[in-house]
Amino acid sequence: MRMEEPLNIIITGVGGQGNVIASQILGSAAVEDGFCVSIGETYGAAQRGGAVMSHVRLFKQNEYGSLIPQGGAHIILGFEPIESLRTLGSFGNKKTKVIVNPRPIYPIDVLAGMAKYPAVDDILRVIKELVSSIHVVEATELAKEAGDSIMQNVVMVGCLAGSGFTPVKIETLKEVINMIFAEKRPEANLKAFELGVKAIRETKPL
Amino acid sequence: MSYVGVDEPSRKVLLMGNEAIARGALEAGVHFCSGYPGNPASEILDTLAGLARKFDFYVEWSVNEIVALETAGAASFTGLRALTAMKNLGANVCADFLMTVSLSGTRGGFVLVTGDDPSAHSTTSELDTRNYARFADIPLLEPATMQEAKDMTKWAFDLSEELGVICLVRSSTRLSHSRGAVTLGPIKREKRSADFSPDDTWTSGSSRITSMFHSMLHEKLKRAQEKFENSSFNWYVGKKDADFVIVASGTGWLYSSEAVKLLGLENDVGILKLGTTWPLPEKLVATHLKHAKEVLFVEETDPFLEQNVKTLAAELAVEGIGPIRFYGKKSNHVRGEFGAGTGELDVDVVVNSLVEIKKLGYVPIGKEYSEKAQKLLSSYVPSRSMSFCAGCPHRASLWAIKKALKLDGRDGIVTGDIGCYSLGMLPTGFSVAKTLHCMGAGIGTANGFGNLKRFGLDKPVIALVGDSTFYHACIPALINAHWNRANLLLVVLDNNTTAMTGHQPHPGSGLNALGCISPKSPIEDICKAIGVEVTVCDSFDLDNAVKKLHEILQAEGAKVMIFRHECPLAFPKKKKVRVYVDADKCIGEGCGCVRFCTRVFGCPGNIWDYEKGKAKIDEAICNGCKLCAKLCPAEAIIVEEEE
Amino acid sequence: MSRIDVKGPADLQKDILNKGLCLACGACANLCPYINMVEERPVMIESCGLSEGKCYDFCPRTYVDLPMLDKIVFGAYRSDLAIGSSLAVMKVKSRDDRIKSTAQYGGVASALITFALQTGEVDAAILTKSKDRITPQPALARNKKDVLECAGTKYVVCPTVTGVTEAIRQGTRKIGVVGTPCQVIAVRKMQASKFEIGADKIGLVIGLFCTWALSPRVYSFIRRVTGSVNVVKLDVPPPPTNTFTIETEKNKFEVPLDEIRKFILPSCNVCFDMTSEFADISVGTVEGEEGWNTVIVRTSLGKKFFQRAKEAGIIEVAPLGKERLDHLREASLNKKRRALKEMESLKTSYLILREEDRSKLTL
Repeated sequence: MRMEEPLNIIITGVGGQGNVIASQILGSAAVEDGFCVSIGETYGAAQRGGAVMSHVRLFKQNEYGSLIPQGGAHIILGFEPIESLRTLGSFGNKKTKVIVNPRPIYPIDVLAGMAKYPAVDDILRVIKELVSSIHVVEATELAKEAGDSIMQNVVMVGCLAGSGFTPVKIETLKEVINMIFAEKRPEANLKAFELGVKAIRETKPL
Repeated sequence: MSYVGVDEPSRKVLLMGNEAIARGALEAGVHFCSGYPGNPASEILDTLAGLARKFDFYVEWSVNEIVALETAGAASFTGLRALTAMKNLGANVCADFLMTVSLSGTRGGFVLVTGDDPSAHSTTSELDTRNYARFADIPLLEPATMQEAKDMTKWAFDLSEELGVICLVRSSTRLSHSRGAVTLGPIKREKRSADFSPDDTWTSGSSRITSMFHSMLHEKLKRAQEKFENSSFNWYVGKKDADFVIVASGTGWLYSSEAVKLLGLENDVGILKLGTTWPLPEKLVATHLKHAKEVLFVEETDPFLEQNVKTLAAELAVEGIGPIRFYGKKSNHVRGEFGAGTGELDVDVVVNSLVEIKKLGYVPIGKEYSEKAQKLLSSYVPSRSMSFCAGCPHRASLWAIKKALKLDGRDGIVTGDIGCYSLGMLPTGFSVAKTLHCMGAGIGTANGFGNLKRFGLDKPVIALVGDSTFYHACIPALINAHWNRANLLLVVLDNNTTAMTGHQPHPGSGLNALGCISPKSPIEDICKAIGVEVTVCDSFDLDNAVKKLHEILQAEGAKVMIFRHECPLAFPKKKKVRVYVDADKCIGEGCGCVRFCTRVFGCPGNIWDYEKGKAKIDEAICNGCKLCAKLCPAEAIIVEEEE
Repeated sequence: MSRIDVKGPADLQKDILNKGLCLACGACANLCPYINMVEERPVMIESCGLSEGKCYDFCPRTYVDLPMLDKIVFGAYRSDLAIGSSLAVMKVKSRDDRIKSTAQYGGVASALITFALQTGEVDAAILTKSKDRITPQPALARNKKDVLECAGTKYVVCPTVTGVTEAIRQGTRKIGVVGTPCQVIAVRKMQASKFEIGADKIGLVIGLFCTWALSPRVYSFIRRVTGSVNVVKLDVPPPPTNTFTIETEKNKFEVPLDEIRKFILPSCNVCFDMTSEFADISVGTVEGEEGWNTVIVRTSLGKKFFQRAKEAGIIEVAPLGKERLDHLREASLNKKRRALKEMESLKTSYLILREEDRSKLTL
């Protein structure tokens, strides 16, 4: 496929959802497939329940820093609906494609009664108005099917792979998943990945 | 799993910046590594510790950064190659030794790697450690890419060994914590034996000797400068003899090249990328100052290059260079959210500078879009504050402290320190802590607050500190409190790990960096030896903790309370429990509770079922600590032990 | 139809605690995670934000609607303004020597509550315990031994009502209470409240006569007088001695009563209830007759129980005598008069009275 150069992907979610592993899987597979990759993340303090983003950039010529410029995201892989919308605000544009897991994770600001969490349907509707396409996949449910809700991030990587939005090969991703999880349930993670691939292909955009 | 230890030269792999630095040290044949955990540098030593056994070299987590630098310094004196890694503020802690070991000189290649943190994502200061290179008169290298992170670290050992001086490699968050493709080199394993002959002396001297050493140090810098003039880490791209030159270093390089591309200026401007930035390769810089009429400096965070190059330009004025219009921090073009010289760089900062300076009519992709989206966000999207993890003992400890201080009724002062519990200043920590500076400043400032009775400040003072930070910085301050009779209670939050930076061990853990069993120095023993009264408690036993705290606060003098409970992330429970809310018993918003678990206590595992109007447990997040079940005023939270 | 606005904790803080009107009865504490007692102070750990709450509703100083409470507890407005509703007033003493030697005066409160426990009238009783007489704590008693440990007058305030709240939470089915007038009022307000907390589990309520109570700050004063030895008994001998006696294991000390008065809680000065007008049975002194108690039986529950106790022979009963009764009524009326005057200077209008009664008291 003819790729934008660089191809800018943002994986966005909440600290603890496994952004970093997802970006690592994607990035390692891209390198194996012959791409150059630059990945930027928020580590350290931000992880304590705060919003986290991984910027994953694929390119073949030149070299790029790890932070995607304003409005530069081609793809947003959203592990959480509010974070997907938040990321769109700074990095989205009319052509952005979004894949989102609609399961909310309530910020403590909301739980403490200091803020309101909008209805998920409203969030998805607003996202739809702002982007080229939005696919909604219940990745947490699929992860539970594969064995553990914590594999939601791997399901989402499967969705990205199956969507065809990136040139990274499904086979390469599977190899990388096998290697990264070699000591902890590679089969379950592979199943999660495959469920994601299948789900995106069976899902129409909103 | 990572490719960092793979012995396949020329293979291209995905590495984190910190891994690339560690790989550089490995390829340079490092023998001795030390450091103290601190973001964004923590993974450098974590990675080296993971490679140490396979490649047969030594790694230690030291108790703090100055001891780390000193131990590595000694290794260098004996001819071994040594590396010390730390966060930016760590450089302040080891500055005493840095300023003297630069004078005494070194033998084996000795490299100090610092991780700066523009925008202070993880630290409490945007301190730019490049200033230390100029301050200490030592060579400075600034990697701009993952590849350079590896290659420069490797070269730094050769440079240091040849010149006999410690070299500073300065990284920053977006380099250390980003990942990118790196082509690996061969791993060098050279066996060396550590030598200290009877004739050896290592000192920065005193009186005239020191001035002499100082002069010798300047000579070393001159030799470094000569090497820098031809270094492959410096280059110029873009329009030949351009009128407009961007001088960039570190992460500024890739941001600048992308900005130039976005604005279509590839044929209009030149970019001088510098990797060896102290001493400045003056001849190289001069060649480009000759043709430049405008210069824009792109660097994180201080105007370090900016000021040094301007000084050079002033000196060269007699040779006909200039006048040049300089842009950067001083001109207020390169600025973060709060102004020039603050906040981190990104492509947009550089784009905006160029647009302003060159008066371009460029509109970023979707500027209108972004304004529309931002409007939606501010009224619609709730912010997501940080919070302690589910099951974190700090939540229990800080609640106990809040309660005890309220019961005491004198508006007690709580000073904070560096660690996960720094969040004690935020709502997740009940906003209990009122101060936060650097390692050990909690008990340090408490010494002051606890000695102001004669000036009318007569409130109880509690200093918070974690176990790792206690060993790092608090022992002298505790001795001071005892000796100078400060009235304070030091509360040590002992979760048996150095949590915020990735669960590294410390002198109370019983393990070292290599995972071997190690002698412990229990905190209570140290306190007793100092002569202060120590109480040990588990804050999960909340009523008891509150009672004990309240009692201790009524007494004078320096005292210590250790709240001991393991970090649930570092020591995950093997036995599973199922925690759920009996909605019939839940009082919810009614009098007697008013949503204590979600509104006040704030564990992310306690959520609210908006439909039922009752509390609920998010079983995906709940870690089974059972504390909310203990605290629920209606006893509505049920714990089921699973088989 | 209530003339009262039940408010919330912010108002409790503003109207009662900040104005020094707290009696340390403990009614507002431990009902939720937000209010705890520290000695005699309720402390708000955190604001719950509610505009209406139990803490405000149960507090004896937020509002006392006298006619309404009379109706709820006795079924009708009182016939006697001075000492409230009563079915009988007499002189009583315990027949149990152990009780008499441990307790104050006639030992009747201890005898009655012991009998209540022994006969299952109540499963547990909330009393006040203090080893040194000076730092009392609420205590739960289940038998005679427990009661004996709590016997004897403590002149210092105690958040006894927290013991009632705790007993209800523990699921105790029939709870007895021995308390001072303000504590009794708090308990009655709990039973009358629109907020449900299981106050129907409260059974026999024995109220003590009270003219004032002391702050725990009296502790350091008493320690200075006695040295650091255990106090065995405190007493206010009848007028005109105007002294306060402190008995330790080895010695007996007498201090001027005015020294002790300095520690009286300001809120006691607006108290209108000397004889625990809302208890089932009230117990107090007989001035000049140390071996006896004055007893007022008020409710039918109280009457039935008292009758059983008398028939079981655990107490000896004698007529009080008109002179003593008149003296008691006059003393009680004087307390009411003083209270109404003080209410103006302490800026509280918590007491709701019939207009004609208010006029009688302010003549």
